[in-house]
Amino acid sequence: MAETPLQLNELASDPELVNDFIVESREHLTTVELQLLALDQDPANVEALHAIFRGFHTIKGLAGFLGLDSIQEIAHEIETVLDLARNGSLQITPAHIDVILAGKDWLNQSLAALEEMIHSGKPPALGRTAELLASIRLMAKKRDEEDPVPAALSALSPAQETRETEAAGGSHSIKVDTQKLDFLVDMVGEMVIAQSLVKHDPDLALGGKPRLTRNLAQLARITADVQRTAMSMRMIPIRQLFRKMSRLVRDLCRKTGKQVELELIGEETELDRSIVENLADPLMHMVRNSIDHGLETPEDRVRAGKDATGRVTLRAAHQAGFILLEVSDDGRGLDPQKLLRKAREKGLIEKDAQPSDDELFNVIFAPGFSTAEQLTSVSGRGVGMDVVKKQIIKLRGKIEIVSTAGKGATFFLKLPLTLAIIDGLLVGVGGEHFVMPIFAVREMFRPSQDALSTVENREEMVLVRGALLPIVRLHRRFGMRPKSENLAESLLIVTEAHGKRFCLVVDELIGKQEVVIKSLGESLRNVRGVAGGAILGDGRVGLILDPEGLFGKAAA
Amino acid sequence: MPSTSVTVSENAARTDPRAGKYLTFALGKEEFAIPVLRVREIMGVQEITRVPQTPAHVKGVINLRGKVIPVVDLRLKFGMAEREYTARTCIIVVQTEQDGAKMLTGVVVDEVSEVLNMQAGDIEDTPEFGRGVATPYLVGMAKIKGKVKILLDINLVMSAQDLHGLTRCTDDAIA
Repeated sequence: MAETPLQLNELASDPELVNDFIVESREHLTTVELQLLALDQDPANVEALHAIFRGFHTIKGLAGFLGLDSIQEIAHEIETVLDLARNGSLQITPAHIDVILAGKDWLNQSLAALEEMIHSGKPPALGRTAELLASIRLMAKKRDEEDPVPAALSALSPAQETRETEAAGGSHSIKVDTQKLDFLVDMVGEMVIAQSLVKHDPDLALGGKPRLTRNLAQLARITADVQRTAMSMRMIPIRQLFRKMSRLVRDLCRKTGKQVELELIGEETELDRSIVENLADPLMHMVRNSIDHGLETPEDRVRAGKDATGRVTLRAAHQAGFILLEVSDDGRGLDPQKLLRKAREKGLIEKDAQPSDDELFNVIFAPGFSTAEQLTSVSGRGVGMDVVKKQIIKLRGKIEIVSTAGKGATFFLKLPLTLAIIDGLLVGVGGEHFVMPIFAVREMFRPSQDALSTVENREEMVLVRGALLPIVRLHRRFGMRPKSENLAESLLIVTEAHGKRFCLVVDELIGKQEVVIKSLGESLRNVRGVAGGAILGDGRVGLILDPEGLFGKAAA
Repeated sequence: MPSTSVTVSENAARTDPRAGKYLTFALGKEEFAIPVLRVREIMGVQEITRVPQTPAHVKGVINLRGKVIPVVDLRLKFGMAEREYTARTCIIVVQTEQDGAKMLTGVVVDEVSEVLNMQAGDIEDTPEFGRGVATPYLVGMAKIKGKVKILLDINLVMSAQDLHGLTRCTDDAIA
């Protein structure tokens, strides 16, 4: 692709100014996209039109200030079209929206290029603008042939405009560097833990010291409040993510020729920023899956006695310390027979096995699995649902499928509220302490000698409730000397990796502790079997174990 | 301590980018120096949590006021013999940059000496050691009071690849 190097004036050589421009423009573009979709639904939505106009207008101004000519030019041309629509001489059609969306996408790419410039120092290469400009200009010219303008568009009163502006500037907020925020949340987490250590310190012997008890309780309350506030600062409503899906649904509808209505419920549900960011991909794949595989074509739907327009519902809600997310459609549902056939073809299921429906539904998460008969631009390559599963596991969440043939399918996601703190079991191996995340622990026990068996005198197995589970000795994995080589004197933790259960051998259980997960730093990021570090009660660092990394192939 | 006037050091800074204030420390009989601006703090040796499956010179991680940072033993990193830690052993916390990202690393050294103001005239290029001795992180030598100090580019010493040597292809790389 031919790319034009961007001309910059000296103001643009100040990375801070450019960064501000990028941040601000991105905000505007997000609003623009939301409003464009609103306008697409309801072409007479004057407020949406105004909001879009304002967004492009601001970007144009800012770009002009920095001498970013090509950005300014695109924003200007779009503004011209929007202005025509504003004063009633042009009626917005889906085709217009397509072009404006393309313009918006181009601007987003340019911002990304600028961002790279700040980091690498190389001049940004922006995509070709000529075609885009031409198509935007064409829109502006064609207005004479358009239908007369609906009354609502021309009957704009200035009062409406002021009201909107007020609403936009109404909330008092400041911008804070996310790194500072992350650090704050981190430290507050440490404070909560330190507070609880003080409270439970045996030396304090709280009995008979009512004042100390009262003061400590007060401290605990304040700490909890501070923690809640700090956490909430990093929480953002899921709205933006949901709205991104509106765009995806719109694009998919145009590509597949299906009619889809997207219903969003619980947009105001707040969750940790890092979770929202990591949910974008899985959600996209699930929505795509619902539309491409779940929903039928309008003709088929009518034949089946359904409304020609399919319905995809995204629902978010809080429940007992978790976030519940649902992606449901009213399409044909998963077909167990078809899944079974495909799964056998791919060798994912034994030839003569008779899996339950639930087991069959789970095969769609296998890498490379696809029921699409033909490869389309939308799906069929079999990447997608496996990404969903992987990502959800990474977020320490769970995914379930409920499907009724002919009625539709629903994906249920259950995610933790935050990724920053986990409940952990403190275990000891060879004098070192490790943290085993509780969510990964199924059960713990000390085996009896006759439950143990070996394979080829090398691999060890243990019989747990009728199931033979492989044994992984943590000290061997990590090259340490255990208290005892005798398994009957060690502790076995039943955990799970890649969907298979196994037993992890440690010396002893020391206790249970809430810990703040910390990275070991860039240089020690890829240590296998270690998910991160945590500050323990005695101020030492304890490593957090990662069952997925401990099981399976030994480290090379 | 050398008593140089500010103007002199400024002039020196203009003539040689390597001139400036250095923290010097000892490893065995050798004296090394790193730019003082890279140093965040100096602490005694504290309990280090070992991280499995890392090279020997990575001693583990420590708790730096709520932050977890890796600790590297510079003796082992430079292929010198290991030595028992003593009361003089120090961890120098340095800030380095890796692909634009700032990170803190603890460096274990035998003994921290002093902060020296090095002028352009004190600094010489690293001599050629002949065949195959790659010394990318040695930026120069300084002779102060008859003693040689080896100037280190701590950024290169800590270069991530070298540090962990374990960036493996994770088999769960997303397709």
